[in-house]
Formats: sequence, structure tokens, C-alpha cells
Amino acid sequence: MSEWKPKIVAFLCNWCSYGAADLAGVSRMEYPPYIRVIRIPCAGRMDPKFALAALREGADGVWVSG
Amino acid sequence: MVTFKLNGKTVQGDEGQYILQVAEKYGVDIPTLCHHKALEPAGMCRLCTVELFDGRRTRFVTACNYPIWEGMEVSTDSEMVHDGRKLIVEMLLSRCPEVPLIQNLAQGYGISEPRFKKEEDTCILCGLCTRVCERMGANAISLTGRGVEMKVDTPFGLNTEACLACGACASVCPTGHITLERVNQKHARIAAGLIPSEYDVGLNGRKAVYVPYAQAVPNTPVIDRDVCMHFKTGGCEICAEFCGVDAIDYTMEDEIVELDVGSIILAPGFEPFDPSAFDSYNYINHANVITSMEMERILSASGPFEGHLIRPSDHKEPKKIAWFQCVGSRDVNRCDNSYCSSVCCMYAIKEAVITKEHAGDDVDCAIFFMDMRTHGKDFERFYDKAREKEGVRFIRSRVHTIDSIPGSDDLSLKYVLDDGQMVTETFDMVVLSVGLQTPPEVVELAKKLDIELTAGNFCKTPTFDPVVTSRPGIFVCGAFQGPKDIPQAVVDSSAAAAAAGEILVSARHSNTKEKEVIPETNVINERPRIGVFVCRCGTNIAGVVNVPAVAEYAKSLPYVTYTTDNLYSCSQDTQEVMTAIIKKEKLNRVVVAACTPKTHEPLFQETLVNAGLNKYLFEMCNIRNQDSWVHKTTPDLATEKAKDLVRMAVSKVGLMEPLKETAFEVNQNALIIGGGVAGLTVAKSLGRQGYQTHIVEKGDRLGGQAEKLYRTADGETVKPKLRQLIDEITKNDNITIHLDTELTDVDGFVGNFKSTLSRNGSGNDDETVIEHGVAVIATGGKPYTPSEYHYGEDSRIMTSLMLDQKIMEGDSDLKNLDTAVFIQCVGSRQPDRPYCSRVCCTHSIDSALTLKEMNPDMNIYILYRDIRTYGEREYLYKEARDKGVIFIRYSLDAKPIVEVEDGQLDIELTDPILDRPVKISAGLLCLATAVIPNQDEKLARMFKVSVNDDGFFVERHAKLGPSEFATDGVYLCGLAHYPKPVDESVVQGRAVASRAVTLLAKDKIYTSGQVAETDPAICSACNVCVSVCPYGAPSLTPEDARFFPGTAEINPVLCKGCGLCVASCRSGAIHLKGFDNDQIFAQIFSLDQAVGL
Amino acid sequence: MAHMGVESERIHFSWVSSAESTKFVRVVNEVTEAVRALGPNRRFVKSHGLDRQSYDEKAA
Repeated sequence: MSEWKPKIVAFLCNWCSYGAADLAGVSRMEYPPYIRVIRIPCAGRMDPKFALAALREGADGVWVSG
Repeated sequence: MVTFKLNGKTVQGDEGQYILQVAEKYGVDIPTLCHHKALEPAGMCRLCTVELFDGRRTRFVTACNYPIWEGMEVSTDSEMVHDGRKLIVEMLLSRCPEVPLIQNLAQGYGISEPRFKKEEDTCILCGLCTRVCERMGANAISLTGRGVEMKVDTPFGLNTEACLACGACASVCPTGHITLERVNQKHARIAAGLIPSEYDVGLNGRKAVYVPYAQAVPNTPVIDRDVCMHFKTGGCEICAEFCGVDAIDYTMEDEIVELDVGSIILAPGFEPFDPSAFDSYNYINHANVITSMEMERILSASGPFEGHLIRPSDHKEPKKIAWFQCVGSRDVNRCDNSYCSSVCCMYAIKEAVITKEHAGDDVDCAIFFMDMRTHGKDFERFYDKAREKEGVRFIRSRVHTIDSIPGSDDLSLKYVLDDGQMVTETFDMVVLSVGLQTPPEVVELAKKLDIELTAGNFCKTPTFDPVVTSRPGIFVCGAFQGPKDIPQAVVDSSAAAAAAGEILVSARHSNTKEKEVIPETNVINERPRIGVFVCRCGTNIAGVVNVPAVAEYAKSLPYVTYTTDNLYSCSQDTQEVMTAIIKKEKLNRVVVAACTPKTHEPLFQETLVNAGLNKYLFEMCNIRNQDSWVHKTTPDLATEKAKDLVRMAVSKVGLMEPLKETAFEVNQNALIIGGGVAGLTVAKSLGRQGYQTHIVEKGDRLGGQAEKLYRTADGETVKPKLRQLIDEITKNDNITIHLDTELTDVDGFVGNFKSTLSRNGSGNDDETVIEHGVAVIATGGKPYTPSEYHYGEDSRIMTSLMLDQKIMEGDSDLKNLDTAVFIQCVGSRQPDRPYCSRVCCTHSIDSALTLKEMNPDMNIYILYRDIRTYGEREYLYKEARDKGVIFIRYSLDAKPIVEVEDGQLDIELTDPILDRPVKISAGLLCLATAVIPNQDEKLARMFKVSVNDDGFFVERHAKLGPSEFATDGVYLCGLAHYPKPVDESVVQGRAVASRAVTLLAKDKIYTSGQVAETDPAICSACNVCVSVCPYGAPSLTPEDARFFPGTAEINPVLCKGCGLCVASCRSGAIHLKGFDNDQIFAQIFSLDQAVGL
Repeated sequence: MAHMGVESERIHFSWVSSAESTKFVRVVNEVTEAVRALGPNRRFVKSHGLDRQSYDEKAA
């Protein structure tokens, strides 16, 4: 394998970070393509079980952002 | 179709295409230098040379301009081709050894040093510039000379008028040979430069086709006809060629549209003051003197420097920044804007604090000001924090000169301190806090509309009708009514809408069109049939992500029965096609992989509804904003990401269920708590619009604090207007007045409140229950009773309202007064009450003027900390000074000392300018006392709304929701919100009416489908959900309920679907529809096939 | 979580407002770098779907 690619699950608040991620796109910024976004209605929706489940499914990192 | 072989593989292209185009389509890379998609190929650089076998012999042709033909065999990377290209690159490197592009190419071919003699050119004669110039219709430059003499130039090498300085040549030049400076020096007679971006106040350039700013509505590009080359020469048309949906139409013309309207609302806004005309500020001559608008853009993350704080001249990080207040405000000598612009003090502090946030504490921020005017809600606290915690320096001085320092880009400032000391200080950058003014074209418009303006060119409006212009039917809001900040402008706009609504009430619903309702297909118990639509978004997505591959991949996913890719999924025709497909394929779940759900989810949900599907059977994945746009250098990984996202969405959508949006009847009655000016205005407006309105007043009469006021800043006497207002209320049959009444209980929620009213002192017998759809809290405020300055010990010492009373009574003693003293900020702006009461400066100055009218020889002293006569109230301040009222400043740590002895009333303080104690013997001492709220914790609890540390109610949003609560259907106005003068209470009352009508105008309200729901069988009645919910949606069922007593239930009307309760539920009894655990887990569980594995 | 054996460095929290795209990109980079530094996640990964050995081989 040439290079290990990390796999990171991002739980993003619909109103905050998800919007920021959209805006980053509008501004044509670039960032590493390893995050997989799961949109949640609010950071309050985040359940620790989600993070555990993601790790169990082989995710290398979990990022929760409100 | 033409079929031929490319590197041994059979490929197809369209008749007339060139080899390069087909190669690109099949992902075969051919290097080019002189190729540009928008221009006809020329085969100039020869770098794209490929090997062509025509069946008999091998030839070398340039791929960019060689048309394909049936049966040809092309090889793009044979050894011969490679060697040929290497030689070309080597020769180019010897011609242009310093050009990075060529250096990189050479490195790729393993050339470190050319074998040929090196030259110092930077032009590779690719001809892109001349071709683009021709296309622009200018034909100003061409390749001149022959052989080694060949170069790009204008005829005879002269600067010519043919060159329109459009800069197209510079934009296509691959080597950087042609720049705008070069165009200016060698080609054009007119100056070439970037088109300054209006949004970035000229700090950045923009294109001739542009979206004005990221949040623009509508968010579509416009063509600037003044700079677009097509409109100058008829050439170019490149944008039309590239637009995939043929949206560009050069023939469109401005048209005059005639509308039949019953009312006009003016919201033309303001323009920032332009300081260029004043040489004293050095704005024109010095790049590091900027306006506050430029500073806003510099500090903005989406601004020209991406939020990185650097100064314009040399892009160095400034370490010392000065702000100058009142540039273009409070200035009769230079700009004639003698009013105060109201907002600049606060925005300067904000900019200084953000500066420190961005660049660290070691940046020195100094604000030079005359009076610090932080009279808005929570503004004084911000000022205190900036001064005491953030270390922003506040210097009370007007800087008189800014000098450039020779040999540096820094600026030298000279100013005088209070004690007369002259200071010279060097700063890296100066920000001019420019004021607000009405643009000349708006003044023109006002003339055309025949509406009256004030001395400061703002729209003239009466105190008791602050959005009403001098012409009936025309209303005004925002900064054209007077300089103001965002919350005030938002309040204005709502009020103007209500004012228009009042006169148009008979026309309401007369122009409504009914929407056709398409019956919903029942999909419950059906096996999922998922359709996946992958959008190309022109080239926005397809240019990076391999869209066909993603669509193909989606086919392999479970339950997916249909996949396709669209050019533009959001276009009208595609929508119709999608509707047809959903019906034809009997799809019962839909995934759209496209831009972002934030902007397009509602549109696609509409498509589902049109196809008879419940709109929640939908999931959108974001493969543009969060994929193709941000990963363009790694297309393979971007494609992988898109596949992952599609897989996650598919696994989620399979679990989506049709959700119901429950309808609730809206009770059309309104309940207003408080019968002061604000509450009465709400009632007046709602009554006029035909809604049954109840006013509940604790006291025995209507009018509130306005009863005690003499006159307003505009010189209008309050009493007659208040009488008029109360008269109208009393006569309106829609309005019921409950005096001596209090609210004892509130039940229900938005649209369906039930309130219990109790008449004071009459016990429980006299209780009335009122059902209403909306509630307004207008409980008002009262003057603070001072515990200092010997208040209450001497009849000559009184509050502002007591003085008003004396004036209204025509007390003859006032006229004979020899000396009157006013003390400002009594109870305000001090640690135990750290807010500014907003009204007192204007009130005292107006009272002083009244006393001066009675007796021009009276000595009047106003002892103040900062005079806060914001907006056009400033005129009163000036008038008072002109008439001889003496203003003496004091500071919080050296308050005036009042002594009452032997019938003498003496006030002593230190004058900061004279720097010596002053003693005034007065016949009257007026204390400008704070406005304090009628704090009512019980009321706050009943309506589930909150109160801030100062006892004022907390609105939904400080800027954008100033007149409503976070709790739906409950509104606030007047002094209960924050201290404010009569006109602002009136306008907020009307704003509340407007906000309430948005709800009352509907017969029914619909809940969102994405709300939380409890499973009472599992609920352990722990009450956690009830305590965590910010919207008060969960509650426990009564203990005597028939089913599941004492368990939690969630009111879908109040639920905002945030999911806080779901995450906090220990029993797992709460489900959030649309974002339920199993749905999110489905997304997580489908991760395991993701990238890298 | 750390008590359960989860490497706390694998879980990141942040607050980004919808206007802060620059900050968003910065945090994405930080998180990616932090996870990259840790290397592949080997704890808790369930073994079905992909067997452990081939996962480890790939991850190595």
C-alpha cells in the first residue's frame, strides 16, 4: 500500500459547522479529502454511542463540531 | 461518431473534434502551453505533438488542432514523442530560464541545464495573448517581427487607443510575461487595472461577470456592462460559450416594469461617508489610512486577506492601530454632517476587539473619541470589557494631524490630552470610523416622491408614527429614517410592514393562488425502491468527481433500483424529468447527490411532493460544496468520497419513513401585557388589522410612563398624542381593555394559549380565562429611585420625570431659577447597573432647553460622563451649547458631591479641562435617573422566556430578532426590552404587531416533520428532557392521565428538532424523526467499506 | 471514554460558526494531521465485513 489514508467521520451541526463546510466550498478552499460528513441537526444530537460505533466500524478518527 | 485508436485503446469522438479534446475526455494527459479552452487552437508551442499512424506511415501532428478521423491511430507518449517534447522544453528553457512554469516542465523531463545559450526572455511566443485580444474584438496586439525578432507588440510599439486595457492578455499569459503594469507601460493609453470589487471596498479585484458577494440574493452572476468587453467591441462571448444551460443573453435590456401597489416602503439604506475630500486625514495619499468598511473586509474570513490582519501598503502585520471616531459625523466645520451616526463607537470597539482576537493581545488598539456612545442593549458591557479586559485604549481627543513618516509606511499622529499635553505617537495603521449618510440619489428619490427630509437628509417622521413619511401610503425603515444599527433597522422594517398592512387590510388574501395538492402515495410496508440522482452541476462536480462512475457505483448498492446522472439537477426541465422518473420507476426513496442540502433540499423535496412522495423520503449528499469544490487536486479521492457519501445516504434513506406535518389551528386573538405606549401601539395596529386584542394593565389607567413625559426629542408634546392613541384604542371594538388586572396563569403554546386574568384585590371570584394565539410582553419600566445626591431630602432635588411634571404644571418657580444643575448617569453605567439608559442625555438637554426658553439668563450646568445624543438628537446638544448651557464632564471615580446646608444647595466637582474644583450653588438639581425594568420573574416563567442580568427580557436574537422571544408566539417591546425613547417604543410596538400578524394571518400552522417523539412505554419519567430543552417542548403527562401517567411527551409545535433531548434520554425513549439513531447508525455502519480499506 | 480504552486523541471536538470557513479548513487539517500521526485505528474495530488480518495488512 503506497500511503495509508486515514478515515475520519465528522458529525457536523447543520447550522454551524455544516454551513462553514459549505462556505469553504463556495470559497474554493482546499482540505484533505478524508473526512466523511454526517449531518446532524445540532451538536446536542451527538450521542457518545455514535463515536464508539464509528470507531468500531473502522474509522480512524471522529470529529464532532458544533 | 468517429472511432479511432488512442494509445492502443479504441475511443470515440464527435466529428470535428480535435485529438486533444478526445484525449481529455478519456483522461489521457497531453501537455500544452499555447492551448486555452476558450480560444481556437493554433499549434504554436508544439508541446502537444503526438504520433499519428494513418495506416501507411507515421507522422507528427499537434493534438490541439488536428481533427480526428475514422480509423486513425494516435500515440501520445511514445519515445519519439517524448524526445521531441523534451527538446522543445529544453529550447524553451534556454529562452526563458527564469519562468517557473518552464522550470517545472523541464524538471519533469529531467533537464536541469539547457545545452543552448541562455537568454533572458519571459515570453514563449505561444500567441495566447494575441488570440485572446483578437477574440476580445480589440486586435491591439499581435506577433510582430520575424524569426528571432518575433515578439508580442502593438503596431510600431506605440501605446494605442486600440488597446482597451481589458487585461485579457495578462489573464491568459502562462508565463507572467504580460502583466497589467506592462499593459499600462507598453500597450494602452488608458490605465489597466483590476476591476475593484465593490464588496471588498476595492481591496480586491473582481471579474466582469461576477456574483456581487457570497450571500447575494439571488445568488446568480451578473455581467457588468460597463467593463465587459462584449459590450465594448461585440467580441469575446466566452461566457456564453461556456455556460452549460445557455443562461447568458447579451440582448437583454433594462426594462421598466409597472406595478399597481397600495403602499410603498422605502428602505434605501445609507452610504458610508467618503473621507477622500479631507486632506487632513491623508486617506487618499496613504494606503495605511483606511475606512472602517475596509477594516471590516480585512478582518473578515471571506475578505481579501482571508481574515489575516495585514495592512494594505506592505502586507505587514500591524502592531499599532488607531481608530478615529466621528469621521463624517458631528462635524459642522468640514462635512456638514452635524448629526451623530449612532453606530460608529460600537463598531470601532468591535473591530478593536476582533483585531485582538485575530492578531493577539500584543496589538495595540487605540480609539480616539469625543464621547463614547454605547447606548445599545449590552453595548456598555462590551465597552467595559474592551477597556478593562481586552486592553483597548480609549483616548478622549480629536487627532488634528496625520503625517507620513518618510522612509516608512507608518503614520505619525499628533493630539492633545485633556490636560493640554501634546502627544506625538506613531501607528502602523489608522482606521477612520466613517459615519452614515443618505446618498445623493436617495435625496433625489425623496424629491421625486415628494416626501420631507430632515436637516440631515433623513426621512422626516413623527415621534408617534416613526415609519410614516409626510406622504400617505409611503413608509420608511432603516438608516434612511435616521442613522441606526441592525436591531433598530430590523424593528423598523417590521413596523413599516405593519403600517402597510394596516392600510391594506381590506385587500388581504385577495390575490392568493391556491396550490394544487398532489395526493401522497402510501409507501409503508413497501420494500425500498431507491433512486439515486447524481448531479454534474455542469463541470462544477463533473470536472473533479467522476460522476458516471459514482452513478454506476450507486447501482450496486442494496435497494437501489434506479440511478442516473444529470447535467443540472436543479433546472426546471430536470425537475420535471425527475418527477416522471419517480412515478415511472415507482421509486419510494430518493437520494440526490449534488450541491448542498442547505440551499437545495427544499427544492428536491418539492420534486418528491410533485411526484406524490412524502418529502421526508429523501436524503441529499453533498458532493459539490464539500467535495468537488474542495478537493480539486485529488479527483480520485474526491470520487471515492462521493461514493462513500452516496453509500451512506442510500443506507440512511432506506430507513426514512414518511413523516407527518401536523396542522394546528391558530387562535386569532392577541393578548398584550402592559398598557404603556408600546403595548398600546401593538393593540392599535392589531385592532386596525381586525384582530381581537386584549390589553391587560396592572394599573388603573392606560399610558404608562409616557403620562409623565413632557415632550420628545422632536419637540412634540407627549400628552395630546398619548390621549389620541388611548382614544383610538378605546373606540376600537376589536380591543378589550382589562385595567387593574394581572395574569395569574398561562397554559398552552403558540397559536393556542389559555391565560387566566385576575382583577386585583377581587380574589379568585373575578377570574377570566382568555384564549389567544399570540402574547405580547410590554410590561415597561420605571425610573430608578436614587439613594445618593441627597435625593428625597430636599424638594429642590428631583428626577427628570419630576421636573417634567413641574414643567407640565407650568410651575412658575422654574422661571425664576437662577441656576439649575443636571447630573447624568444617576444609577446607570456603574458596576451594579452596567448599562446606559439611553434616554437621559437627550432628556436632560431638552429639559435644559425648556428652562432656557423660560429664562434665557438661567445658568444651567449639565454634569455628564459622555453625552449620548445619538442620531439627530445631536442637534439638541449643539443648540444647548449655543444657548450657553455649560457641560462639565466627571468620571465614575470622582462623582459630583452634593451638599445641602443652611438652605444652600451646592454641587462640587473637578473640571477636567481646568483641572480644578468647581462649586455650583443651584436652585434646582435634576438627577437623570436610570430606567429600570418592571422585573417579573413569574411572567417570564409562565411564558418560558428569559430575563437578563439587568432584569430586561431576552429577545430571540440581539440583532435579527429584537422584538420576539425564542418561544414561538410570544413577543416583546418597549422598556421591557431595553430603555428607549417614545419613538423607539412606538416603532417596536408596531414591529411586534407585524411579527404577530405573520402568525395570525395563517389559519393553521404546520409542525416540522423532523421532531422528537417519546415512546411512553420506555420512558422512565426522569424529567431530564424537560429540563434540557431550550424551547420548552417536552412535558410530563399528568399523574392522573389515563395512559402512561407521568411520562414525557413532546409538543411537536414547539420542538425545533435539535435532538438535545434524544441524546440526553437515559432510557432511549426519545426518537428524532429524520435523524433517528438507526438512521445515523446506518450511515456509520456503511462506513466500513470506505476509502483506504 | 478513555476509561473504556478509546484513544481520546482520536475524538475531536470543535465549534465553528457558519461564517468561519477558514477556521473550518484549519480544523479539518488539524484533525487530519492528528489522526494521521496516530496511525490506523486498531482498537474496537469489528472483524466482520473485512477480516482482521486483511484489514491489518491493508492498514500497514
